Amino acid sequence: MQIDIRVQQAAFDAAAMQQRLTAGRRDIGALVSFTGLVRDVNERPDVQALTLEHFPGMTEQALEAIARDAGARWPLTGVGVIHRVGRLAPGDPIVLVMVTSAHRRAAFEACDFIMDRLKTRAPFWKKEHTASGDYWVSERQSDHDDAGRWERA
Amino acid sequence: MTLTHLNARGEAHMVDVADKPESRREARARGRIRMQPATLALLAEGGLPKGDVLATARIAGIQAAKRTHELIPLCHALALSKVTLDFELDSAQNCVWVEAFCRLNGRTGVEMEALTAVSVACLTLYDMCKAVDKAMIIDGVQLEEKRGGRSGDFSRQATADTAPAVLDEGASLGETPIVAVRFLAELRERLGEAGTELDPAQLAVADIAGVKRALMTADPRYALLGEGRVLAACNQVMASDTTPVAPGDEVAFFPPVTGG
Repeated sequence: MQIDIRVQQAAFDAAAMQQRLTAGRRDIGALVSFTGLVRDVNERPDVQALTLEHFPGMTEQALEAIARDAGARWPLTGVGVIHRVGRLAPGDPIVLVMVTSAHRRAAFEACDFIMDRLKTRAPFWKKEHTASGDYWVSERQSDHDDAGRWERA
Repeated sequence: MTLTHLNARGEAHMVDVADKPESRREARARGRIRMQPATLALLAEGGLPKGDVLATARIAGIQAAKRTHELIPLCHALALSKVTLDFELDSAQNCVWVEAFCRLNGRTGVEMEALTAVSVACLTLYDMCKAVDKAMIIDGVQLEEKRGGRSGDFSRQATADTAPAVLDEGASLGETPIVAVRFLAELRERLGEAGTELDPAQLAVADIAGVKRALMTADPRYALLGEGRVLAACNQVMASDTTPVAPGDEVAFFPPVTGG
């Protein structure tokens, strides 16, 4: 299984990732991708920007471990993850997860799984900047509930 | 004293030994691989998944001695007349001692062969046991004794009596390794520092919870580590309260993650 993990400040190009994951292969029947964007409404309604901090070194390892877990659960041919760090504005793409497989069900489920794991296990932290001040975003129970679905399955 | 592998211009070269007289050369080297008591017990019982561990390591060590010149750039190919590997299971120190002995009648010493045999036997032991224990440590690989040749005889025992620089078993080189502690994101901002250091001697229990307690005892500011949910990583892998922490490890504390 091909794994392509990137943590970067710059905007990403989903088409380039698709090219990397599919180039020269004829066994891929499905490609599912998820792109997360920065919303202007979160814990407060007037988010002007957010700053993403991560733990260099551990972040890449954690993302790779998540990709490998997905590969152990579904028959995948490739997993690509790009997560941006630094200062981002509402509307900016923040994360890309792209999964390829011979069949669509595996690709859909693995993509969902990787996002759930990423939100609860990869060392990223968001600080939101609003007109009424800055604050660190709290964890959400719903993210843990979502991630918990895969433990019971 | 000169380094024989450097020529007059200081460049690396192979020493020409054609004119040296042949003499009996012997060398004995030793090393060990430390492991969990349970791993050592499995090894003793022959219960490891890859089978007869010591026999395999012995063959590996002998093969390695014969191929030393392929690994060490300026080493001559030698027709060894004898290579032996001995293993001693030490349940007091939870390790396997590996001893290699090499002999030949020739023009160069065989200490590199003995050291290579010990190293590769240790690596093979690691390979054979890693399925059950990945934290094994190979250390103390050293020449114990050599005989013959222009540079004369050497015995670690004799040297140790006169040279105080030789360290005892288990003693560390230089300063004692510390446990490095890092704080990330909101925790770093609230503490006003990116990290600190901890002397492992301050740990009542050598695990993540022990690190937290030692910090909280040392400085009331660290009470923050006990408030709400604080996650931890040891050497950049997510850890729980009971994850072991050893000198030299890096422990990071941080708030729950909020990426994606």
